[in-house]
Amino acid sequence: MRTNRFLPLAAAAALVLSACGGGESVDTGGGGGGENVLVAAVSAQPDQFDPHATNAYASFQVLENVYDTLVVPDPEDLTMQPSLAESWTTSPDGLSWTFTLRDGVTFHDGSEFDSADVVYSYRRIIDEELANAYRFATVADVTAPDPRTVVLTLTRPTPNLLELIGSFKGMAILPENAAEDLDLQTEANGTGPFELESSDANATVLTAFDDHWGGAPTVDGVEFRYITEPSAALTALSNGEVQWTDNVPPQNIESLQDDDAVEIGSVTSVEYYYLSMNYRVPPFDNRDVRRAIATAVDREEVTQAARFGAAQPNETAIPQGSPWYLDYAPFTPDQEAARQLLAQAGVQTPLTMGLMVTDEIPETVAAAQVIASQLQPIGVEVEIQEEDLATWLDRQSQGDFDAFLLSWIGNIDPADFYENQHLSTGGSNYQGYTNPQVDTLLTQAATEPDQAVRKDLYDQAARIIVDDVSYLYLYNPDEVQAWAAGLTGYQVRADAAINFETVELP
Amino acid sequence: MTQLPTPGATPAQPPPSEPIPAAAPPRPRWRETLGLLARNPTAAVSAVVLVLIVLVAVFDETLAPDGPNDQDPGRQLQPPSWAHPFGTDEFGRDVFSRVVLGAATSLRVGFLSVAFALVVGTLIGLLAGFYGRWVDDTLMRLMDVLFAFPAVLLAIAIVAIRGAGPANAILAIGIVYVPIFARVTRASVLGVREEVYVRASRSVGASDWRLITRHVLPNAAPPIIVQTSISLAFAVLAEAALSFLGLGPRRPNPSWGLMLADGRGFIEQAWWYTVFPGLAIVVTVLCFNLLGDGLRDVLDPRQRTLMAGGGR
Repeated sequence: MRTNRFLPLAAAAALVLSACGGGESVDTGGGGGGENVLVAAVSAQPDQFDPHATNAYASFQVLENVYDTLVVPDPEDLTMQPSLAESWTTSPDGLSWTFTLRDGVTFHDGSEFDSADVVYSYRRIIDEELANAYRFATVADVTAPDPRTVVLTLTRPTPNLLELIGSFKGMAILPENAAEDLDLQTEANGTGPFELESSDANATVLTAFDDHWGGAPTVDGVEFRYITEPSAALTALSNGEVQWTDNVPPQNIESLQDDDAVEIGSVTSVEYYYLSMNYRVPPFDNRDVRRAIATAVDREEVTQAARFGAAQPNETAIPQGSPWYLDYAPFTPDQEAARQLLAQAGVQTPLTMGLMVTDEIPETVAAAQVIASQLQPIGVEVEIQEEDLATWLDRQSQGDFDAFLLSWIGNIDPADFYENQHLSTGGSNYQGYTNPQVDTLLTQAATEPDQAVRKDLYDQAARIIVDDVSYLYLYNPDEVQAWAAGLTGYQVRADAAINFETVELP
Repeated sequence: MTQLPTPGATPAQPPPSEPIPAAAPPRPRWRETLGLLARNPTAAVSAVVLVLIVLVAVFDETLAPDGPNDQDPGRQLQPPSWAHPFGTDEFGRDVFSRVVLGAATSLRVGFLSVAFALVVGTLIGLLAGFYGRWVDDTLMRLMDVLFAFPAVLLAIAIVAIRGAGPANAILAIGIVYVPIFARVTRASVLGVREEVYVRASRSVGASDWRLITRHVLPNAAPPIIVQTSISLAFAVLAEAALSFLGLGPRRPNPSWGLMLADGRGFIEQAWWYTVFPGLAIVVTVLCFNLLGDGLRDVLDPRQRTLMAGGGR
């Protein structure tokens, strides 16, 4: 899951870079290629177009429309639906998944899609140990018995295999030998509704792929323009230069709602912000101290200041609306109770807690300031440590922190939310949390084929994680986007994927 | 024919010299300077405003109605009102209180960094100018190296190496302005060094130390004083720039530069969030500059005579 954290971070970094690179210029000479082209204002330039290699959200905004995966999340509830795979079966022991591929799918260059392309793509990710190789951790083999069939053989049952191979375009299917035939950094050859036409320092242009297996898209093309400054993006939207943007700071939502030329779409996203305390640094190894801090934090106030209310306070990770949501909120903001817990823990107050945040994600700085003011009355002096991202990551991996505050995004399956972060051997368990009970529950849940039983196991694990304050969960932010009034056929998604296949211009 | 002394006449005595007129004790030079300054309205007003700003910085906690980090989510981004004359920010903090509390930060960094530059730079300039030759060459080439970097860029580099924080900001800004003081002092010392009174003093065996402290430095001082005032303006501005870039005091400490940086994202919803800290910076910097200009006019010997003559 380490990768997923990088999505917003990489986007923020790219944003800074493009701000320096003159990517902000706004072409006022009217839209891009023609009458029926959607112009979208995005905040950052894609770093590259190799779906298997990039971590940048800005790249995935484009790639979502260019490539396909075997299965895709439903735009409403993010359950996995057929895409390049029409259907699939699982062997009784859960160790073999057989996918039947869709017929009549062609790549942008006209070549036929078949099982060899799937094997090539998956082997590329596994063999070259690319960013998402961890998603194939339980995959022993990928085979193609015939051109329409792909079989994944597993080392242990993996009930969330579909989420692993389909939740985003990092698992895209490339044509066989694409890495040799193309410069994937700058070129693309997918099966998606749009072809990558061109990309420069100002914009990336896509044109409709008329032979798309799902039918030609409704618009002739999409132009992604990079407009770093939110006010410039919103101005461009108001005066009709662009028809869509996701560069909407929460404080602008209210005024945009009064703007008749603009419509706002918003949905609680699968991203979550959290605070993590270091178990190796006393007194944060003390459960009562962590619980005192969790009791003193008022999540409503945090979301109000950091997001202007455009977020759902949550004491667990998974957002309301997900089938995996757990309604569990044991902490009620109470400074008196928090003080008692601290006294019970026997720690000397005032105690100092360094809280590491990064100015590359300003929201973390804002949230940290609110938390600092909430913890002060109970005798915890928060020292806000703003670091640039590189230093931040460095300190995190070295365990050089009292506490930090950040978010994870792109999670659909509960394994994504809990495994790496809270297993004692988890790759992202930087806080050093160890609870044998949680380990047992998570390991059991990972291979449990029955969805209801699986949810129950994750619910049990989540309750313990929350009670122990392995993470102090804060909120799920809203994914907010704005578009020209009258634009239809578009939907804001909880996973923040942007798909313009069926969009219709006003 | 000789004139004989008149008998009985006492030998002629030299007429008693006229008593030295009980000259009004010469007005101390600093008072004269102040007097001249008072007659320069812009400089005088600037000085008064600066005194006020310093007073605000000294009594900040008494003057600020709220603490620097008193948050209230119920009063997020409120426009200026009687309760909050400068409005509130996104945390519901009183912007007026934070501007008042930020004055101390800005001035402390400004004064301390200029003090550092003044002491170190003047010392280097004195040594270079007084001793000349290889001392001069070594020190001044070193200063040239420092001087070659744009000021703010150099400060950013120093803070980036040493880490963010007020102490490092002071050091960084201080180092950046050392070469200016060194150059001004050296130039001034070169002029004074060959003056007759210095050579006279040397000829009667005065030590270097005495020459420097009694003769050279006092007479080389006016340009340094002017430079100090002007540097204060730049130092306050540089502090704001460093804070703006997140290299100064840490949040949530109030600092004008930080407030500008934070308020920038809300400029459409809340102009007061950026305008008031911005005004504070503008007024402070402007006053230091105008005072510096006034001092230059007053301390320049030629200008001084002119002004004094004109005033008679």
